Amino acid sequence: MPLFGLEDRHWIIIATVVYATAFFLGTYSALKLRRKTGRPYMLSFVSFGWILQTIGLYARGLQYGGCPLANNFELAQFMVWSATAIYIFVGPAFRVSLLGVFTSAFSAFVSAISLIASGWDSDDRTPIFGDTPWIETHAALALFSYGVFGVLTLTSIMYLLQSRSLKKKSVRGFFPYLPSIVELSQINTRLLTIGFIILSLSLGIGSVYWAQDIESVLNAKLYATVGVWILYGILLIIRLRKMIAAKLFAQFAIIVFTLALLSLGFVSDEEKSQSNEEKSVSSIVHERE
Amino acid sequence: MSESSDAFLVISINHESVPLKERERYSIDGDKVASLYQHLGDSGVTSESLVLSTCNRFELYAKIDQSINTHDFLVDELSGFYGIDKFQIHQHAHVREGREAIQHLIEVSAGLRSQIAGEAEIFGQVKAAYADCQRLRSAGKLINRVFQKGFQAAKMIRHSTPIGEGQINISNVAVDLSAKIYGNLSRTKALVLGTGEIGEKTVKALRSRGTENFGIVSRNQERAIEVASDWGGKAESLDQLGNHLARYDIILASIGSEEAVITYELVKQANYQRDDRPLFLIDLGMPRNIEAGCDNVENVFLYNLDDLARIADENLAERKKAIAVSREIAAERSETIWKAIKKRGLIQ
Repeated sequence: MPLFGLEDRHWIIIATVVYATAFFLGTYSALKLRRKTGRPYMLSFVSFGWILQTIGLYARGLQYGGCPLANNFELAQFMVWSATAIYIFVGPAFRVSLLGVFTSAFSAFVSAISLIASGWDSDDRTPIFGDTPWIETHAALALFSYGVFGVLTLTSIMYLLQSRSLKKKSVRGFFPYLPSIVELSQINTRLLTIGFIILSLSLGIGSVYWAQDIESVLNAKLYATVGVWILYGILLIIRLRKMIAAKLFAQFAIIVFTLALLSLGFVSDEEKSQSNEEKSVSSIVHERE
Repeated sequence: MSESSDAFLVISINHESVPLKERERYSIDGDKVASLYQHLGDSGVTSESLVLSTCNRFELYAKIDQSINTHDFLVDELSGFYGIDKFQIHQHAHVREGREAIQHLIEVSAGLRSQIAGEAEIFGQVKAAYADCQRLRSAGKLINRVFQKGFQAAKMIRHSTPIGEGQINISNVAVDLSAKIYGNLSRTKALVLGTGEIGEKTVKALRSRGTENFGIVSRNQERAIEVASDWGGKAESLDQLGNHLARYDIILASIGSEEAVITYELVKQANYQRDDRPLFLIDLGMPRNIEAGCDNVENVFLYNLDDLARIADENLAERKKAIAVSREIAAERSETIWKAIKKRGLIQ
């Protein structure tokens, strides 16, 4: 549905270009000009992209009359939107230079993939999460937690970069603009805690409906989602108990997020499966008529 | 109505062309500065002036009636004030006028003309000189405008170029690296092995950035107690080094020793008790006090004298590269400021 004269995808394409521009400008400024892009500038730039993306997702929501979470494209977009929102609204409290540059890189990359991948934004879209607002809330919270884990992945990459620079005694590149490894390590623990709480809340809501109709959720999706939750839970516990070093923690955070992204495929499989089932039911009914 | 017009100029005697023994003759303190302002004011030709006197430069910024030879006039005034021969002052002094004087001020304030390129102290010194000038009622509309706008331009240069980035002396490089490991240094504990000058300088630098807890180790316990009292800290025993490595975050080693006092095994053992806190080892000893392999231990960072010197050199090279860009900005900004001054009629 067009909004302000543009289709939803067009808004999202422009937002992706803004994210990519923010990333290139921030990187060029830091590495080539050796100037730190002021946090307010980067925040404004990324916020502009986020507003454009919000308009795109809102237009799509209006078109389909619900939260746009019906195919891989929409799942990826919602996750990017969440990660960027975390940077905009929570990021300033972390006072991490370059978080905007890293977030814009993540947002531009994932958004571009979702736009390019043929078949991700299929027209054959069936709402994955049924028709109750609670299930939509469950899905939105789950994807929002993935956004938090996305930012955790970025700060983990920052940690590994900074730690490597210190070990290699190389004080060029991003080194002068990144915070200390102790601060990054504290931020990582906080982000994991926030993400895990949100994911737990999401799964709590989902479990109520699952208990009412166990067949409604594919086993693969169930195992994948609970698996991700358990992995993050274990990571959180061993971190809080100081059983894992900050560097290993950062490496695991990246690995688990990669697995979490892959697990989204199972959600999509469920969508296809539900869609196929509906088609076959509809064809049977049609034949009988 | 007066037909005379004014000139704005700066006369500068600085380290770029005048050796220290000559510069010393121009050095003046608070009382003498006041009398120089008085001296200039009494001439009836200088309507506004500002004196900047630091260890590397003497500068006089002035608004002067242009109906006279401004350069000769200032040299005469300085000669009369200091009792230095006019010919010598002519030899030592560089004079810049109008826009170039403003560009000079911006370059000086931003540290572009400092002996150590990009040092920040000069900015505070120029601001203090401006405050003195205001207090002594020697600043008028022109000086106020030039200096306030000049400060803005200098700040912009320091913020938008790497001119002041990266430390260029070994102690400060070590402190900067500590901040890159721990962030806020107020919660860190530093242990100094040895009681030499470099240790003292680093303790001062760490303290200025927030570190409060220091331990001092010396081969001679009495000396450790004495130095701990001088520097502010606690005397620790060399025999308990393993325990110290577990408790302290920053270890600065510059103790006279033929072989390494901090070994890989000692660090590895201590690391188990550190609760994932990083350990920063700074080896300033010659021969080295810390075994080279210590940084193979996870979360342990080891820098020796050569590493710190190389970083300081790289930072200095970066600053020098930034000077050209900074000068372009200073030229642009001075042009804008000068045009605005003329437009406002602050100079005839």
